[in-house]
Amino acid sequence: MDEDAIIEGMTRGDQRAFRELVDRFKKKVFYLALDMAGNPVDAEDISQEVFLKVYRSFGTFRKGAKLGSWLYRITYNASIDHLRRKGAAPQAMADEIIEASAGSDAGLPRRGAADPAADLELRQLQDRIACALDKVSPQEKAVFVLRHYEDLQLQDIALSLGLSVGSVKSYLFRAVRKLQKELGTTALISRAETSHD
Amino acid sequence: MTECQTCNERMIESLYGMLGPADKADFERHIAACPECAAEHAALGETLRVMDKRERPDPGPEFWGGYWDRLSRRMLWEATEEGRGPSLAARIGRLFARLPRWAYQTAGAAALLLVGILIGSRLIGPSGTATTGTPGTTAAVSAPAPAGAVAQAGDFIERSKVLLLGLVNFDPAVEDAYAFDLGGKKAASRLLAAEAPAIRQGLGEPGQRRLRELVTDLEVVMMQIANLEAGQDVDGVELIKQGVDRRGLFLKIDLDRLTRDARPAAAAGAAGPVKKSQV
Repeated sequence: MDEDAIIEGMTRGDQRAFRELVDRFKKKVFYLALDMAGNPVDAEDISQEVFLKVYRSFGTFRKGAKLGSWLYRITYNASIDHLRRKGAAPQAMADEIIEASAGSDAGLPRRGAADPAADLELRQLQDRIACALDKVSPQEKAVFVLRHYEDLQLQDIALSLGLSVGSVKSYLFRAVRKLQKELGTTALISRAETSHD
Repeated sequence: MTECQTCNERMIESLYGMLGPADKADFERHIAACPECAAEHAALGETLRVMDKRERPDPGPEFWGGYWDRLSRRMLWEATEEGRGPSLAARIGRLFARLPRWAYQTAGAAALLLVGILIGSRLIGPSGTATTGTPGTTAAVSAPAPAGAVAQAGDFIERSKVLLLGLVNFDPAVEDAYAFDLGGKKAASRLLAAEAPAIRQGLGEPGQRRLRELVTDLEVVMMQIANLEAGQDVDGVELIKQGVDRRGLFLKIDLDRLTRDARPAAAAGAAGPVKKSQV
Protein backbone atom coordinates (compact mmCIF):
# COMPACT_ATOMS: atom_id res chain seq x y z
CA MET A 1 0.00 0.00 0.00
CA ASP A 2 1.61 3.31 -1.02
CA GLU A 3 1.28 6.58 0.87
CA ASP A 4 -1.61 7.85 -1.27
CA ALA A 5 -3.51 4.63 -0.70
CA ILE A 6 -2.94 4.92 3.05
CA ILE A 7 -4.21 8.50 3.03
CA GLU A 8 -7.25 7.52 0.97
CA GLY A 9 -7.95 4.56 3.22
CA MET A 10 -7.57 6.64 6.36
CA THR A 11 -9.97 9.23 4.95
CA ARG A 12 -12.54 6.43 4.48
CA GLY A 13 -11.87 5.16 8.00
CA ASP A 14 -10.34 1.90 6.74
CA GLN A 15 -8.75 -0.01 9.63
CA ARG A 16 -6.27 -1.76 7.32
CA ALA A 17 -4.94 1.59 6.17
CA PHE A 18 -4.43 2.61 9.78
CA ARG A 19 -2.57 -0.59 10.53
CA GLU A 20 -0.40 -0.04 7.45
CA LEU A 21 0.33 3.51 8.60
CA VAL A 22 1.32 2.26 12.06
CA ASP A 23 3.54 -0.48 10.62
CA ARG A 24 5.22 1.95 8.27
CA PHE A 25 5.86 4.79 10.69
CA LYS A 26 6.08 3.16 14.12
CA LYS A 27 9.88 3.07 14.16
CA LYS A 28 10.32 6.65 12.97
CA VAL A 29 7.79 7.91 15.52
CA PHE A 30 9.22 5.76 18.31
CA TYR A 31 12.82 6.83 17.70
CA LEU A 32 12.03 10.54 17.56
CA ALA A 33 10.04 10.15 20.79
CA LEU A 34 12.93 8.17 22.30
CA ASP A 35 15.45 10.83 21.36
CA MET A 36 13.21 13.50 22.82
CA ALA A 37 11.99 11.76 25.99
CA GLY A 38 15.12 9.82 26.76
CA ASN A 39 13.66 6.47 27.78
CA PRO A 40 11.90 3.66 25.94
CA VAL A 41 8.86 3.44 28.23
CA ASP A 42 7.96 7.09 27.73
CA ALA A 43 8.81 6.76 24.04
CA GLU A 44 6.28 3.98 23.59
CA ASP A 45 3.66 5.93 25.49
CA ILE A 46 4.27 9.00 23.33
CA SER A 47 4.26 6.99 20.11
CA GLN A 48 0.93 5.42 21.05
CA GLU A 49 -0.50 8.85 21.81
CA VAL A 50 0.66 9.96 18.36
CA PHE A 51 -1.12 7.11 16.59
CA LEU A 52 -4.26 7.58 18.69
CA LYS A 53 -4.28 11.23 17.68
CA VAL A 54 -3.76 10.31 14.03
CA TYR A 55 -6.63 7.83 14.23
CA ARG A 56 -8.99 10.29 15.85
CA SER A 57 -8.14 13.42 13.93
CA PHE A 58 -7.08 12.31 10.51
CA GLY A 59 -9.63 14.82 9.21
CA THR A 60 -7.17 17.58 10.09
CA PHE A 61 -4.51 16.14 7.76
CA ARG A 62 -3.98 18.63 4.95
CA LYS A 63 -4.37 17.08 1.51
CA GLY A 64 -1.10 17.22 -0.41
CA ALA A 65 1.02 17.31 2.73
CA LYS A 66 3.57 14.63 3.53
CA LEU A 67 2.34 12.01 5.93
CA GLY A 68 5.83 11.65 7.44
CA SER A 69 6.16 15.38 8.13
CA TRP A 70 2.72 15.45 9.74
CA LEU A 71 3.59 12.50 11.97
CA TYR A 72 6.92 14.04 12.96
CA ARG A 73 5.14 17.23 13.94
CA ILE A 74 2.59 15.37 16.08
CA THR A 75 5.40 13.34 17.65
CA TYR A 76 7.43 16.44 18.38
CA ASN A 77 4.42 18.19 19.97
CA ALA A 78 3.48 15.09 21.96
CA SER A 79 7.07 14.78 23.19
CA ILE A 80 7.17 18.42 24.27
CA ASP A 81 3.82 17.99 26.08
CA HIS A 82 5.20 14.91 27.75
CA LEU A 83 8.32 16.75 28.91
CA ARG A 84 6.21 19.61 30.22
CA ARG A 85 3.95 17.21 32.09
CA LYS A 86 6.97 15.58 33.63
CA GLY A 87 8.12 19.06 34.57
CA ALA A 88 11.73 18.29 33.82
CA ALA A 89 14.24 18.35 31.07
CA PRO A 90 14.70 15.00 29.33
CA GLN A 91 16.80 12.58 31.30
CA ALA A 92 20.15 11.57 29.96
CA MET A 93 19.67 8.55 27.79
CA ALA A 94 22.74 6.89 29.16
CA ASP A 95 21.41 4.47 31.74
CA GLU A 96 18.13 3.22 30.40
CA ILE A 97 19.10 3.28 26.76
CA ILE A 98 22.45 1.65 27.23
CA GLU A 99 20.83 -0.92 29.50
CA ALA A 100 18.22 -1.58 26.86
CA SER A 101 20.71 -1.84 24.03
CA ALA A 102 23.49 -3.71 25.74
CA GLY A 103 21.68 -5.59 28.48
CA SER A 104 24.45 -5.09 31.04
CA ASP A 105 25.65 -2.51 33.50
CA ALA A 106 26.26 0.91 31.97
CA GLY A 107 29.90 1.80 31.72
CA LEU A 108 31.08 -1.78 31.97
CA PRO A 109 32.13 -3.99 29.09
CA ARG A 110 29.56 -6.52 27.99
CA ARG A 111 30.07 -10.03 29.24
CA GLY A 112 31.47 -12.16 26.46
CA ALA A 113 32.55 -9.16 24.37
CA ALA A 114 35.27 -10.17 21.90
CA ASP A 115 37.44 -7.19 22.87
CA PRO A 116 36.46 -5.93 26.34
CA ALA A 117 38.71 -2.86 26.12
CA ALA A 118 37.22 -1.76 22.81
CA ASP A 119 33.75 -2.56 24.08
CA LEU A 120 34.31 -0.48 27.21
CA GLU A 121 35.59 2.39 25.10
CA LEU A 122 32.55 2.19 22.86
CA ARG A 123 30.19 2.15 25.81
CA GLN A 124 31.90 5.13 27.39
CA LEU A 125 31.61 6.97 24.10
CA GLN A 126 27.88 6.16 23.99
CA ASP A 127 27.62 7.53 27.50
CA ARG A 128 29.36 10.75 26.54
CA ILE A 129 27.20 11.18 23.46
CA ALA A 130 24.04 10.63 25.51
CA CYS A 131 25.13 13.20 28.08
CA ALA A 132 26.05 15.67 25.34
CA LEU A 133 22.65 15.26 23.67
CA ASP A 134 21.00 15.85 27.01
CA LYS A 135 22.52 19.33 27.14
CA VAL A 136 20.85 20.36 23.90
CA SER A 137 17.41 22.03 24.08
CA PRO A 138 14.40 19.96 22.90
CA GLN A 139 13.96 22.06 19.76
CA GLU A 140 17.65 21.89 18.86
CA LYS A 141 17.65 18.20 19.57
CA ALA A 142 14.62 17.55 17.35
CA VAL A 143 16.22 19.46 14.48
CA PHE A 144 19.56 17.68 14.92
CA VAL A 145 18.03 14.21 15.20
CA LEU A 146 15.83 14.70 12.14
CA ARG A 147 18.76 15.96 10.08
CA HIS A 148 21.53 13.71 11.32
CA TYR A 149 19.76 10.40 11.96
CA GLU A 150 16.62 10.62 9.82
CA ASP A 151 18.44 12.34 6.97
CA LEU A 152 15.64 14.87 6.41
CA GLN A 153 16.29 17.93 4.25
CA LEU A 154 16.16 21.31 5.99
CA GLN A 155 12.91 22.18 4.19
CA ASP A 156 11.29 18.96 5.42
CA ILE A 157 12.45 19.60 8.97
CA ALA A 158 11.03 23.11 8.73
CA LEU A 159 7.69 21.66 7.55
CA SER A 160 7.69 18.99 10.23
CA LEU A 161 8.39 21.32 13.11
CA GLY A 162 6.56 24.37 11.83
CA LEU A 163 9.72 26.50 11.60
CA SER A 164 11.34 28.59 8.90
CA VAL A 165 14.34 27.11 7.08
CA GLY A 166 16.48 29.88 8.58
CA SER A 167 15.45 28.87 12.10
CA VAL A 168 16.18 25.23 11.33
CA LYS A 169 19.70 26.16 10.20
CA SER A 170 20.19 28.24 13.29
CA TYR A 171 18.97 25.48 15.66
CA LEU A 172 21.10 22.92 13.87
CA PHE A 173 24.22 25.07 14.11
CA ARG A 174 23.62 25.71 17.80
CA ALA A 175 23.02 22.04 18.45
CA VAL A 176 26.25 20.98 16.74
CA ARG A 177 28.26 23.61 18.58
CA LYS A 178 26.82 22.56 21.93
CA LEU A 179 27.57 18.93 21.13
CA GLN A 180 31.10 19.87 20.14
CA LYS A 181 31.59 21.65 23.44
CA GLU A 182 30.17 18.76 25.45
CA LEU A 183 32.09 16.11 23.59
CA GLY A 184 35.38 17.69 24.45
CA THR A 185 36.50 19.00 21.11
CA THR A 186 36.56 22.39 22.82
CA ALA A 187 40.27 23.01 22.37
CA LEU A 188 39.84 23.61 18.68
CA ILE A 189 36.77 25.77 18.99
CA SER A 190 38.03 27.87 21.90
CA ARG A 191 41.21 28.52 19.95
CA ALA A 192 39.12 29.57 16.97
CA GLU A 193 36.90 31.81 19.17
CA THR A 194 39.92 33.45 20.77
CA SER A 195 41.45 34.20 17.39
CA HIS A 196 38.12 35.67 16.15
CA ASP A 197 37.81 37.88 19.21
CA MET B 1 29.01 41.33 6.41
CA THR B 2 32.51 39.92 6.77
CA GLU B 3 33.65 36.83 4.96
CA CYS B 4 33.97 35.00 8.28
CA GLN B 5 30.30 35.74 9.13
CA THR B 6 29.20 34.48 5.73
CA CYS B 7 31.35 31.41 6.21
CA ASN B 8 29.80 30.82 9.63
CA GLU B 9 26.30 30.96 8.18
CA ARG B 10 27.21 28.37 5.57
CA MET B 11 29.08 26.10 7.96
CA ILE B 12 26.21 23.68 8.61
CA GLU B 13 25.24 23.44 4.94
CA SER B 14 28.84 22.74 4.10
CA LEU B 15 29.14 20.03 6.75
CA TYR B 16 26.01 18.31 5.46
CA GLY B 17 27.01 18.77 1.81
CA MET B 18 24.08 21.04 1.04
CA LEU B 19 25.91 23.97 -0.59
CA GLY B 20 25.45 24.71 -4.28
CA PRO B 21 28.59 24.65 -6.50
CA ALA B 22 29.17 28.43 -6.44
CA ASP B 23 28.66 28.77 -2.67
CA LYS B 24 30.80 25.71 -2.10
CA ALA B 25 33.66 27.21 -4.10
CA ASP B 26 33.41 30.51 -2.17
CA PHE B 27 33.28 28.63 1.12
CA GLU B 28 36.31 26.49 0.34
CA ARG B 29 38.28 29.50 -0.84
CA HIS B 30 37.63 31.24 2.46
CA ILE B 31 38.43 28.14 4.53
CA ALA B 32 41.75 27.77 2.72
CA ALA B 33 42.64 31.38 3.55
CA CYS B 34 41.24 31.63 7.12
CA PRO B 35 42.79 29.28 9.72
CA GLU B 36 40.16 30.19 12.39
CA CYS B 37 37.21 29.25 10.20
CA ALA B 38 39.13 26.18 9.00
CA ALA B 39 39.67 25.10 12.63
CA GLU B 40 36.01 25.56 13.48
CA HIS B 41 34.95 23.69 10.37
CA ALA B 42 37.26 20.82 11.26
CA ALA B 43 36.06 20.72 14.87
CA LEU B 44 32.38 20.69 13.90
CA GLY B 45 33.07 18.01 11.28
CA GLU B 46 34.79 15.90 13.93
CA THR B 47 31.76 16.33 16.21
CA LEU B 48 29.45 15.02 13.51
CA ARG B 49 31.75 12.05 12.95
CA VAL B 50 31.57 11.27 16.69
CA MET B 51 27.77 11.59 16.57
CA ASP B 52 27.77 9.08 13.68
CA LYS B 53 29.05 6.51 16.16
CA ARG B 54 25.96 6.86 18.31
CA GLU B 55 24.04 3.61 18.63
CA ARG B 56 20.28 3.92 18.76
CA PRO B 57 19.00 0.86 20.58
CA ASP B 58 16.60 -1.46 18.85
CA PRO B 59 14.04 -2.69 21.42
CA GLY B 60 14.00 -5.99 19.52
CA PRO B 61 11.61 -8.02 17.39
CA GLU B 62 9.38 -8.93 20.34
CA PHE B 63 8.77 -5.27 21.05
CA TRP B 64 7.96 -4.46 17.44
CA GLY B 65 5.95 -7.65 16.99
CA GLY B 66 3.69 -6.78 19.91
CA TYR B 67 3.47 -3.07 19.11
CA TRP B 68 0.16 -3.26 17.23
CA ASP B 69 -1.45 -5.43 19.93
CA ARG B 70 -0.45 -3.01 22.66
CA LEU B 71 -1.70 -0.06 20.64
CA SER B 72 -5.00 -1.85 19.95
CA ARG B 73 -5.41 -2.58 23.63
CA ARG B 74 -4.88 1.06 24.48
CA MET B 75 -7.37 2.09 21.80
CA LEU B 76 -9.87 -0.31 23.30
CA TRP B 77 -9.25 1.19 26.71
CA GLU B 78 -9.71 4.72 25.43
CA ALA B 79 -12.84 3.68 23.51
CA THR B 80 -14.30 2.17 26.69
CA GLU B 81 -13.60 5.44 28.46
CA GLU B 82 -15.26 7.46 25.71
CA GLY B 83 -18.21 5.08 25.51
CA ARG B 84 -19.00 5.84 29.11
CA GLY B 85 -19.09 9.50 28.26
CA PRO B 86 -16.89 12.16 29.75
CA SER B 87 -18.22 12.09 33.29
CA LEU B 88 -17.20 14.75 35.75
CA ALA B 89 -14.96 12.23 37.49
CA ALA B 90 -13.25 11.37 34.21
CA ARG B 91 -12.69 15.02 33.39
CA ILE B 92 -11.27 15.61 36.84
CA GLY B 93 -9.15 12.49 36.35
CA ARG B 94 -7.74 13.88 33.08
CA LEU B 95 -7.06 17.18 34.79
CA PHE B 96 -5.21 15.33 37.55
CA ALA B 97 -3.16 13.44 34.96
CA ARG B 98 -1.79 16.72 33.65
CA LEU B 99 -0.80 17.98 37.05
CA PRO B 100 2.68 17.51 38.48
CA ARG B 101 3.14 15.03 41.33
CA TRP B 102 3.36 17.69 44.06
CA ALA B 103 -0.05 19.07 43.08
CA TYR B 104 -1.46 15.57 43.43
CA GLN B 105 -0.04 15.22 46.92
CA THR B 106 -1.32 18.64 47.96
CA ALA B 107 -4.79 17.80 46.64
CA GLY B 108 -4.72 14.49 48.53
CA ALA B 109 -3.76 16.24 51.76
CA ALA B 110 -6.47 18.86 51.24
CA ALA B 111 -9.06 16.16 50.57
CA LEU B 112 -8.09 14.36 53.78
CA LEU B 113 -8.34 17.61 55.72
CA LEU B 114 -11.77 18.29 54.23
CA VAL B 115 -13.04 14.84 55.14
CA GLY B 116 -11.68 15.33 58.66
CA ILE B 117 -13.50 18.67 58.99
CA LEU B 118 -16.72 17.11 57.68
CA ILE B 119 -16.53 14.25 60.17
CA GLY B 120 -15.67 16.67 62.96
CA SER B 121 -18.52 19.04 62.14
CA ARG B 122 -21.00 16.19 62.03
CA LEU B 123 -19.86 14.74 65.33
CA ILE B 124 -19.51 17.98 67.27
CA GLY B 125 -22.15 20.13 65.58
CA PRO B 126 -22.08 23.87 64.89
CA SER B 127 -22.34 24.96 68.53
CA GLY B 128 -19.63 22.65 69.74
CA THR B 129 -22.11 20.29 71.36
CA ALA B 130 -23.32 16.95 70.18
CA THR B 131 -25.87 17.24 67.40
CA THR B 132 -29.47 16.79 68.38
CA GLY B 133 -32.22 15.80 66.09
CA THR B 134 -35.61 14.32 65.77
CA PRO B 135 -36.19 10.76 64.79
CA GLY B 136 -37.31 12.02 61.42
CA THR B 137 -34.06 13.82 60.64
CA THR B 138 -32.05 10.91 61.91
CA ALA B 139 -33.76 8.73 59.40
CA ALA B 140 -32.89 11.20 56.65
CA VAL B 141 -29.21 11.33 57.60
CA SER B 142 -28.70 7.62 57.79
CA ALA B 143 -30.79 7.07 54.66
CA PRO B 144 -30.48 3.34 54.65
CA ALA B 145 -29.35 2.80 51.16
CA PRO B 146 -28.89 -0.71 49.95
CA ALA B 147 -26.26 -1.38 52.58
CA GLY B 148 -25.58 -4.82 51.13
CA ALA B 149 -24.64 -3.36 47.73
CA VAL B 150 -22.40 -0.72 49.30
CA ALA B 151 -20.70 -3.31 51.46
CA GLN B 152 -20.25 -5.56 48.45
CA ALA B 153 -18.78 -2.65 46.49
CA GLY B 154 -16.45 -1.88 49.40
CA ASP B 155 -15.26 -5.45 49.50
CA PHE B 156 -14.77 -5.45 45.73
CA ILE B 157 -12.79 -2.20 45.89
CA GLU B 158 -10.56 -3.44 48.70
CA ARG B 159 -9.76 -6.70 46.90
CA SER B 160 -9.09 -4.83 43.65
CA LYS B 161 -6.81 -2.46 45.54
CA VAL B 162 -4.75 -5.33 46.97
CA LEU B 163 -4.37 -6.81 43.51
CA LEU B 164 -3.46 -3.44 41.97
CA LEU B 165 -0.90 -2.73 44.70
CA GLY B 166 0.83 -6.01 43.88
CA LEU B 167 0.91 -4.98 40.25
CA VAL B 168 2.05 -1.37 40.56
CA ASN B 169 4.72 -2.20 43.11
CA PHE B 170 6.31 -4.66 40.73
CA ASP B 171 9.45 -3.11 39.28
CA PRO B 172 10.95 -5.19 36.44
CA ALA B 173 14.22 -3.24 36.80
CA VAL B 174 14.91 -4.67 40.24
CA GLU B 175 12.67 -7.74 40.47
CA ASP B 176 12.75 -11.00 38.62
CA ALA B 177 9.90 -10.93 36.09
CA TYR B 178 9.61 -14.71 36.27
CA ALA B 179 9.04 -14.66 40.02
CA PHE B 180 6.14 -12.28 39.47
CA ASP B 181 2.93 -14.30 39.64
CA LEU B 182 1.10 -12.74 36.72
CA GLY B 183 -0.96 -15.88 36.11
CA GLY B 184 -2.43 -15.69 39.61
CA LYS B 185 -3.18 -12.00 39.24
CA LYS B 186 -4.87 -12.59 35.89
CA ALA B 187 -7.09 -15.29 37.39
CA ALA B 188 -8.02 -13.10 40.38
CA SER B 189 -8.76 -10.10 38.19
CA ARG B 190 -10.94 -12.24 35.91
CA LEU B 191 -13.05 -13.19 38.94
CA LEU B 192 -13.26 -9.58 40.09
CA ALA B 193 -14.23 -8.39 36.60
CA ALA B 194 -16.99 -11.00 36.56
CA GLU B 195 -18.33 -9.76 39.93
CA ALA B 196 -18.37 -6.10 38.93
CA PRO B 197 -21.54 -5.91 36.74
CA ALA B 198 -23.80 -7.25 39.52
CA ILE B 199 -22.26 -4.83 42.04
CA ARG B 200 -22.74 -1.93 39.66
CA GLN B 201 -26.40 -2.81 39.16
CA GLY B 202 -26.93 -2.75 42.91
CA LEU B 203 -25.63 0.82 43.10
CA GLY B 204 -28.65 2.56 41.60
CA GLU B 205 -29.18 5.28 44.19
CA PRO B 206 -28.45 8.88 43.13
CA GLY B 207 -25.85 9.30 45.88
CA GLN B 208 -23.91 6.26 44.71
CA ARG B 209 -22.85 7.59 41.33
CA ARG B 210 -19.23 8.09 42.35
CA LEU B 211 -19.02 4.65 43.90
CA ARG B 212 -20.55 3.15 40.75
CA GLU B 213 -17.99 4.94 38.58
CA LEU B 214 -15.13 3.70 40.73
CA VAL B 215 -16.40 0.13 40.42
CA THR B 216 -16.62 0.62 36.63
CA ASP B 217 -13.07 2.02 36.49
CA LEU B 218 -11.78 -0.95 38.44
CA GLU B 219 -13.77 -3.35 36.28
CA VAL B 220 -12.01 -1.98 33.17
CA VAL B 221 -8.59 -2.35 34.82
CA MET B 222 -9.43 -5.88 35.95
CA MET B 223 -10.44 -6.76 32.40
CA GLN B 224 -7.16 -5.35 31.13
CA ILE B 225 -5.17 -7.40 33.63
CA ALA B 226 -7.17 -10.51 32.76
CA ASN B 227 -6.40 -9.92 29.08
CA LEU B 228 -2.64 -9.51 29.49
CA GLU B 229 -0.62 -11.74 27.24
CA ALA B 230 0.45 -15.13 28.49
CA GLY B 231 3.92 -15.24 30.05
CA GLN B 232 5.58 -12.15 31.46
CA ASP B 233 3.83 -9.29 29.69
CA VAL B 234 5.99 -6.60 31.30
CA ASP B 235 5.01 -4.03 28.67
CA GLY B 236 1.33 -4.69 29.27
CA VAL B 237 1.82 -4.39 33.03
CA GLU B 238 3.61 -1.09 32.49
CA LEU B 239 0.69 0.23 30.43
CA ILE B 240 -1.78 -0.75 33.13
CA LYS B 241 0.39 0.94 35.77
CA GLN B 242 0.40 4.11 33.71
CA GLY B 243 -3.38 3.91 33.29
CA VAL B 244 -3.90 3.46 37.03
CA ASP B 245 -1.60 6.40 37.70
CA ARG B 246 -3.21 8.59 35.04
CA ARG B 247 -6.70 7.96 36.37
CA GLY B 248 -5.67 8.55 39.96
CA LEU B 249 -7.34 5.28 40.95
CA PHE B 250 -5.57 4.93 44.29
CA LEU B 251 -6.61 8.44 45.27
CA LYS B 252 -10.21 7.65 44.32
CA ILE B 253 -10.08 4.38 46.27
CA ASP B 254 -8.73 6.13 49.36
CA LEU B 255 -11.32 8.89 49.12
CA ASP B 256 -14.07 6.32 48.78
CA ARG B 257 -12.75 4.45 51.80
CA LEU B 258 -12.72 7.65 53.86
CA THR B 259 -16.25 8.50 52.76
CA ARG B 260 -17.52 5.04 53.66
CA ASP B 261 -15.72 5.11 57.00
CA ALA B 262 -17.22 8.52 57.73
CA ARG B 263 -20.81 7.35 57.14
CA PRO B 264 -21.17 4.99 60.12
CA ALA B 265 -19.53 7.61 62.34
CA ALA B 266 -21.93 10.26 61.15
CA ALA B 267 -24.83 7.88 61.51
CA ALA B 268 -23.70 7.00 65.03
CA GLY B 269 -23.34 10.68 65.85
CA ALA B 270 -26.87 11.31 64.67
CA ALA B 271 -28.28 8.21 66.33
CA GLY B 272 -26.78 8.88 69.81
CA PRO B 273 -28.95 11.86 70.89
CA VAL B 274 -32.10 10.10 69.76
CA LYS B 275 -31.40 7.35 72.23
CA LYS B 276 -30.79 9.99 74.93
CA SER B 277 -34.12 11.63 74.26
CA GLN B 278 -35.81 8.26 74.36
CA VAL B 279 -34.31 7.64 77.79
